[in-house]
Amino acid sequence: MDSLETFVVESAIPSEQEFYRKIVEDNLVSLKLAPAIGRIKVVLRPEDSLFQMAIILRNVGTKITTIDIADIETKPVAHEILISIKKEQYIPELLGKLWERYGRQNISQPDRWTVAIHTDKVEEEAAFLGEMKIADPRHKLHENLVDFSIRVTPEGFRVRYHLYKGSNFIFVASEEALKQEWIKEAEVMLEELMEGGKK
Amino acid sequence: MPILLPYLYNGGVYKHGFLIELLEDLGGYIIQKVVTGTEVNLIMLIPEKDVAIVEKQSKELLGTLTEAPLTGVEIAVVSPTLASHHLPHSACDIAENLRHPGANTTMIGLARGMGRRVSLSMDYERRLINEHDIAVFTFGSFRDCIINKKPKLFEGIEIPIVVTGGPDLKTEEVPGADLYVGNIGRTSHRLRKTEEVNALNKLNEEVGKIADKIRKEQARDPLTIIPARVMKEIENQVPAIQTVLSPAPLTLKLNGVRVKLPYDEFHEKIENLKFDEGVILSELANISRSKMKNYILIKIKSKSDVGFAI
Repeated sequence: MDSLETFVVESAIPSEQEFYRKIVEDNLVSLKLAPAIGRIKVVLRPEDSLFQMAIILRNVGTKITTIDIADIETKPVAHEILISIKKEQYIPELLGKLWERYGRQNISQPDRWTVAIHTDKVEEEAAFLGEMKIADPRHKLHENLVDFSIRVTPEGFRVRYHLYKGSNFIFVASEEALKQEWIKEAEVMLEELMEGGKK
Repeated sequence: MPILLPYLYNGGVYKHGFLIELLEDLGGYIIQKVVTGTEVNLIMLIPEKDVAIVEKQSKELLGTLTEAPLTGVEIAVVSPTLASHHLPHSACDIAENLRHPGANTTMIGLARGMGRRVSLSMDYERRLINEHDIAVFTFGSFRDCIINKKPKLFEGIEIPIVVTGGPDLKTEEVPGADLYVGNIGRTSHRLRKTEEVNALNKLNEEVGKIADKIRKEQARDPLTIIPARVMKEIENQVPAIQTVLSPAPLTLKLNGVRVKLPYDEFHEKIENLKFDEGVILSELANISRSKMKNYILIKIKSKSDVGFAI
């Protein structure tokens, strides 16, 4: 599935539809969600105070370990492990974990791409570090998805329903008590998307 | 009384004191001075016949002098709430754009202004909005909401109401509004595309017309004293105003001044402000506690109320 291969915003008035598409786009960009979303459909019915959204996510990959983002080198004589970083975006998470395990005084950063750890059990620790989980993109994605839903919904629609299952996401929001058929409609939207994004 | 015209000077800080001195000699007023790095923005009122002299001086200083039609107008930019749905875009963009021609803006987020059926405004909020000269309500993208649901927020607002929103509507279609400007709906990006900038410029232009209308109505029964003179006398007689850190410690309104000093401590000093003609301010104006924080609000009476003007 390509990213955003289906991107539909539906509303009764075409000009409002355009306005809303832009809002959805802007929020996708600011939360960096566009690569993670395969198909998305948004339906708006302002006269019923109703907002419905169905999303199919792309496969965002599994957990990230130290080996995925860095090379690990051991220096038994100097009692040191050197981590050479290849992907900079995960440094904060990596450092957080390292500080927790070894204490700040045992960690130094000679330069931007290198982290040096001072430890007595060099080989054992190096093996452990290689397998250490640093980040979970799925977890981050879930957070962003919830944030995204709240941001794109009209602000007064405070009664919300959401369903996040596997790579499917449904979100319904309104100002009034939610009707069962609204949620059903959103489920139908999701099924249509799964069949290849009927327009 | 000479006619004063509002202008904005933009130039370097170097030697800008010459301009201030010149203006004092001519009998004009500095409304606001903002220094940012090596640049200075001066909003000022210049006597009509002396504009050419000030223009010459500003050319010598390599600055620019432009008309600032919204000088001395305090505008309330009201958004349904202060949530990320409305801020920083588009409410802040609108407020910023209104400040370009010299207006002072207050951003007001209602506590419960969001939604269709559930939106409402509180008495305190309405009174705060009514302290301003013009209210600009920033609404969203749906025609149905703007026409049928949101106008209930205008109840109790006595000042001219300007509405901005996404769809292209006529002013008559929005009940209670004095002006509607389209193409500025809810957005999550900075308003800088051609049509958005055009809409913002149109907003400025039309708000300027409303301000002119208020000024014309005022001219039929003039104020006893021009607000700018009150402002200058406060600067001269109440030194504490120099220590206030707000960007506009004295905010000029069309019919008064907002003084950003605590009411309890300073209201007597303001009431007893002396003028050369031998009157004090409390004879010329109502001085009350502002709904904004604990500030002082001066509302100048009209000539028909007092019987004379200075």
